[in-house]
Amino acid sequence: MPVKMRKPVRVGLLFALTSAMTISAQGPPPGAFAIDVEGYWTPALHEDGLERGAGPEIADYGGFALNESGRLFALSYDPSRLTLRHHQCDGYVMPYQMRAVGNFRIWEDRDPHTQQLVAIHIWAQTTEGNRVVWMDGRPHPSAWAPHSFAGFSTGQFVGNALVIRTTHLKQGWLRRNGSPESDQATVMEFVVRHGEHLIDTTVVTDPVYLTEPEVRSNDYVRQPADPHAWLYACDDGEEITGRAPDAVPNYPLGKQPFAREYSERYKLPLIASLAGAESIYPGFGAKARSATEAEAVAKLQPAPNQRPETSRAPDVEPHDGEIHVLPIREHTYMLVGDGGNIVVQTGDQGAFVVDSGEGKLSDKVIAAIRQLSEKPIQFLANTSARAAHVGGNSKLAAAGSDPSLPGSFFDLQSPGRATGLLADPAHHATLIAHNNVVIRLQAAKAPSDAIPADTYLEERRRKFHNGEVVELFYEPGAVTDGDSIVHFRRSDVIAAGDIFNTTQYPFIDLQSGGSVQGEIRALNDILNRTGYEHDENGGTYIVPGHGYLSDEHEVTEYRDMVVIVRDRVQAMIKAGATLEQVQAARVTADYDTRYGANDGAWTTGKFIEAVYQSLKQPAGKSR
Amino acid sequence: MPKRVSAVLILIFSISAYAQRGGGRGAPQPPATPRAAARIDITGYWVSLVTEDWRYRQFTPPKGDYQSVPLNPAGKMAADAWDPAKDEEAGEQCKAYGAAGLMRMPTRLHITWQDDRTLKLETDAGSQTRIFHFEPAPAAGGGDWQGVSMASWEYPRPPVYSSFGGLDFGFPPPPAAGGSLKVTTTKLKPGYLRKNGVPYGSGTVMTEHFDRFDVPGGETLLLVTTEVVDPEYLAQPFWTSTHFRKQNDASGWTPAPCLSK
Repeated sequence: MPVKMRKPVRVGLLFALTSAMTISAQGPPPGAFAIDVEGYWTPALHEDGLERGAGPEIADYGGFALNESGRLFALSYDPSRLTLRHHQCDGYVMPYQMRAVGNFRIWEDRDPHTQQLVAIHIWAQTTEGNRVVWMDGRPHPSAWAPHSFAGFSTGQFVGNALVIRTTHLKQGWLRRNGSPESDQATVMEFVVRHGEHLIDTTVVTDPVYLTEPEVRSNDYVRQPADPHAWLYACDDGEEITGRAPDAVPNYPLGKQPFAREYSERYKLPLIASLAGAESIYPGFGAKARSATEAEAVAKLQPAPNQRPETSRAPDVEPHDGEIHVLPIREHTYMLVGDGGNIVVQTGDQGAFVVDSGEGKLSDKVIAAIRQLSEKPIQFLANTSARAAHVGGNSKLAAAGSDPSLPGSFFDLQSPGRATGLLADPAHHATLIAHNNVVIRLQAAKAPSDAIPADTYLEERRRKFHNGEVVELFYEPGAVTDGDSIVHFRRSDVIAAGDIFNTTQYPFIDLQSGGSVQGEIRALNDILNRTGYEHDENGGTYIVPGHGYLSDEHEVTEYRDMVVIVRDRVQAMIKAGATLEQVQAARVTADYDTRYGANDGAWTTGKFIEAVYQSLKQPAGKSR
Repeated sequence: MPKRVSAVLILIFSISAYAQRGGGRGAPQPPATPRAAARIDITGYWVSLVTEDWRYRQFTPPKGDYQSVPLNPAGKMAADAWDPAKDEEAGEQCKAYGAAGLMRMPTRLHITWQDDRTLKLETDAGSQTRIFHFEPAPAAGGGDWQGVSMASWEYPRPPVYSSFGGLDFGFPPPPAAGGSLKVTTTKLKPGYLRKNGVPYGSGTVMTEHFDRFDVPGGETLLLVTTEVVDPEYLAQPFWTSTHFRKQNDASGWTPAPCLSK
């Protein structure tokens, strides 16, 4: 029986309908339709199935546009590297993750109030890879923000595709045989759906290891129900006991013992899988067949008589005359812009600052710290005496004060008091460093107010400040003879100073007491104090002397690099090589496109010389 | 009564406005030909990027190496019996250049409109030509390496704006940008999925989607997603996705005959 509505109700319904029509007519603009990618997806491994399943073979780099650095990195790679504690739980870097075996689950995240699409989550079974593709138009993070295996992804719907851009990736592999993808890689993805078939095309651009973008596509088939098994527990442990802490499995350049195995097994020309970009294009098969043995063998080692390549990594320094603040964890910040990175910890007490930058923008550094802390700077620790880290000491110290000192023994040493030995200690921040920093600064005739007064001599200096233990650990003979790392234990942040950076080879200053052995010890010491949140992502944050905020994965890759270069130089010294011969051998050829420089204060040549001279000096001995 | 009249007027106005925006039944009719209806342009020269299954595609793999292809026992038996010399003797050196294997060859493509209802895809590898017919289907044909290919445009499926909570007002949605070319190929002469005799049979149905992606920075990619269903030799559908990069001209175009190995 029809229900007779009262007039207001009828009018209301009509209004609702007309409103609905109007909303419908507005619609989204052409090209803005969302494709439905939600659900459970299983990869179809009908391409590269052997490689993606059981695993690839050594020296199978066919179809990759690897440059010389990339090829040599891969040839030097020893899969036993994965037995090292800090590699055992390495996650998969995103483009490889999307290519891995294991199921995927994709779902949307919508704002509960506006129902706008905020993000698309992609969860991968293997390694519990967890991607978030932000769909809300947010910008990518700054160049000095941390990297992760998943990277930072933003997406939009274009035509019939979900188009994703990813930056801030960690170093990983394009293929599981060491074919590298650097932390400078960026990725464009085009995701389309045809029925129950999802295809993700990845375009990897890597200025460090690739000569042209790497295009691959991954196929997935929709699962009707949850296939379960989404977890991937990984804890590292001792896989090889008794191994020296400075051992990193690698093959010397030009001495990969299995380099011919792949080509011989499949009756391919040796050069075929080593040729880089040309291996991708039509006509390559015939060209490879006509290559000579000498041409092929030349691909197994660095090209002779060449200047070192230089870094292709974009400069992460802002160079805009401003100080940029990157929050690390609650009450802990990284300040970027005035030479070396600065760490600021805040709380009920005055700010605890690590390093003071180059000193060119000290006023802006002080202003930035005032924005973070109502209290003045109380402590300023120096990780070394290097100019990029102590240049702002005087100004920052003068802008602070140490309220723990008035009325103390130290206050009695101020001018006009008992001894007059200390320059007004209570009315500026207390500078802390290893004693050798003081010696170096005094030798450099630094102003007295820039020289730390609170020093330590041996293993560590401890404080409890702003509710957490802050420890300075002495790292003898690393880049200088006065290096400290500073560990904020509750925040779980380590300021590494120039022992670790993401921009260049370590500045091992032999004249200031640095050595490659000490550098390796120091990097391992950092790694002995770190933990990861999940699969080598997150956990303890490491603030490098220069470059982007890191975690233990970046330190591990850096440590590996220093050890591998050390091994090569050591082997040549044993064989009686001179420094000139070591330089000519291009022992850093697989890292030069990431860290190399041929001009400026710290060149590849100077780094190799520092390694060589360190090893020639009997005083340098690995711990 | 005046309120009821107002509400009806509002409704009529809304519908009228919607129709004027091109969303109603009074909207312009769809283009008369498939060529005019194309929302993506896949014509021009393209070069294959052999980054996947590289060893199988750049070099002829050994007999019996059919890794990743979901062959059934009959398929494996046929692959194990591969004899390229016999193929040559029989004049069938193009068996790997049939439609289900052709796009995996390291090749260049030249795609053109043969007429307003027909796309032509040529390869320099094996000097093959595929014809994509939009409706209607050709009266005859097939039984050769390239079979009969029927094409249609697939557009993004927009949400049904004409509905509101299940109430259908009968209005088609506004057009979406982009789309795919769908090609279904049948009536194939038996051939090879891979050059080393990995077989497909005459009952094969191959469904392809051609998608074009414009990569920021200038490159344009063509993705060809392929599903091969072959009840004779495959245990399940065989999926591949093959990429090509757009060329500005015919550079590198080198027509070559089929090679049996």
